Amino acid sequence: MTELGLRLAVSLTQIAAVMAIVMLTVLILTLAERKVLGWMQDRMGPMEVGPYGILQPIADAIKLFFKEDIIPAGANKFLFSMAPILALVPALIGFAVIPFGPDQTMEVFGVSVKPFVISDINIGILYILAFASIGAYGIILGGWASNSKYSLLGGLRSAAQIISYELNVGLAIVGVLIMAGSLSLVKITEAQAGGFWHWYVFAFPAPQVFAFVVYVISSVAETNRVPFDLPEAESELVAGFFTEYSGMRFAFFFLAEYANMVLVSCVAAALFLGGWTAPYPGTILGLLGLESAAWMEGVAWFTIKVYGFLFLFFWLRATLPRLRYDQLMKFGWKVMLPIALGNIVVTALAVFMYQQMK
Amino acid sequence: MTHAAAARRLSLLEWFKTITFYEILVGMKATLSHLIHYKPVTLQYPHEKRILPDNYRGMLALLRYDDGTEKCVGCDLCEAACPSRVIRVVSAEVPGEPTKRYSKEYYMDMTRCLFCGMCVQACPVDALGMTREFEWAVYDKRQLHLNKQQLLAIGDRSFPVREKRLELQHQNVAFFNVSFKHVPRKAD
Repeated sequence: MTELGLRLAVSLTQIAAVMAIVMLTVLILTLAERKVLGWMQDRMGPMEVGPYGILQPIADAIKLFFKEDIIPAGANKFLFSMAPILALVPALIGFAVIPFGPDQTMEVFGVSVKPFVISDINIGILYILAFASIGAYGIILGGWASNSKYSLLGGLRSAAQIISYELNVGLAIVGVLIMAGSLSLVKITEAQAGGFWHWYVFAFPAPQVFAFVVYVISSVAETNRVPFDLPEAESELVAGFFTEYSGMRFAFFFLAEYANMVLVSCVAAALFLGGWTAPYPGTILGLLGLESAAWMEGVAWFTIKVYGFLFLFFWLRATLPRLRYDQLMKFGWKVMLPIALGNIVVTALAVFMYQQMK
Repeated sequence: MTHAAAARRLSLLEWFKTITFYEILVGMKATLSHLIHYKPVTLQYPHEKRILPDNYRGMLALLRYDDGTEKCVGCDLCEAACPSRVIRVVSAEVPGEPTKRYSKEYYMDMTRCLFCGMCVQACPVDALGMTREFEWAVYDKRQLHLNKQQLLAIGDRSFPVREKRLELQHQNVAFFNVSFKHVPRKAD
């Protein structure tokens, strides 16, 4: 086998593994969300399927798979079928540049492979932002192609909301990029190694606390989650942009939403919370003499951070009511944007001064 | 401290609360405390059922005396009392006993019943009772049009302890099964 063929095989294996992990996480999330939300509201959540309802995601998947796939009369068939795929693919494709563990290289049949990142491209974060924007097209086109006023309204809201808040996401991470001096997620994570005081939320000389808050709020808005779930506001718009969707197409939108949540959490963990780096210098397994197993600690820390962030999503959903549309826009443009811009100025000045002093 | 200074300090505090999302944090603390002190109020209904109160007003039923005879005397008072016209009584003389009446036919349209219990209160001989049955969901609503036999069967299964029949003074003057003092006792 040629080297190219081998590289392709290795990459495909990695992609399959990451896809499997992401899909498994999404399955867990659908159950975890209902359970956590239930517990916070003194309910039990799903209890019927399996012990304590743990098989509920499988039951849901089977149900969605066998449901009738309806295309409403007057809908644009091509775009109606394309929209869920257009929403799902960008959400999944972003995981290609996320570093899940330490930046090691492994020799597989004479080819050096990085096992914990599919592709370490030097503009990783830009790539994720670019594809996240394409995901908005899926929602907007899905809303438009349905030939329903509720879907159209949901799609329009989503368009305005995602554009407003993606700007803030982009600006919030600029501070981190200034401090790291790189757009590659692998390099950004590496730069935060050596204890939680090196994480960019707390790091000297310019702690990115405000940027982190802006990022969290904007990412909640970008993934259309409560309290910013105006595109699918069920009390006003039935179900927003996926009102007319059923069966597998609906499942695709559902998967896209949850995959986006996971992606956003991964990016937050990698940029602000040190990715796979532990909150203390070095690794415990390394100290114990198990240097070869130290990657497990890194992966575990990454998982903990991502799941902590996902818990925050559920927590916000259990707590906050939906914002009004004008409040959402006002908050995005008049509060989040100035804070993000101010953060860039302050960070740039602080980093410049620090480098001059050194 | 002057009033203006106090107001300024208050507004400063409010400003601080706004930028730190104080109110949202209070709300999140509340939801988290519910998660930590998790006490669900849910009853897993088909598996576990609530203990019903003693005066629970469930499915209606016709009752019998301990000797197995029907209590109902066919007076139509329940039909008159019913606010949603659930009940239809066809009254008739007891064959061979011209002064005694009974309900020849007795129908209840339980699709309309609102379980107010007024028929039970109206009944002069306590021939109607409210059981604790409430699982009466059916696929065909015609199954909720009950006749006398069905209502008696519900009464039989819900009220195993039956009332003793009053010893009547005189068979021919017994009216509503009430004994009259001025009428001599029946010889037996």
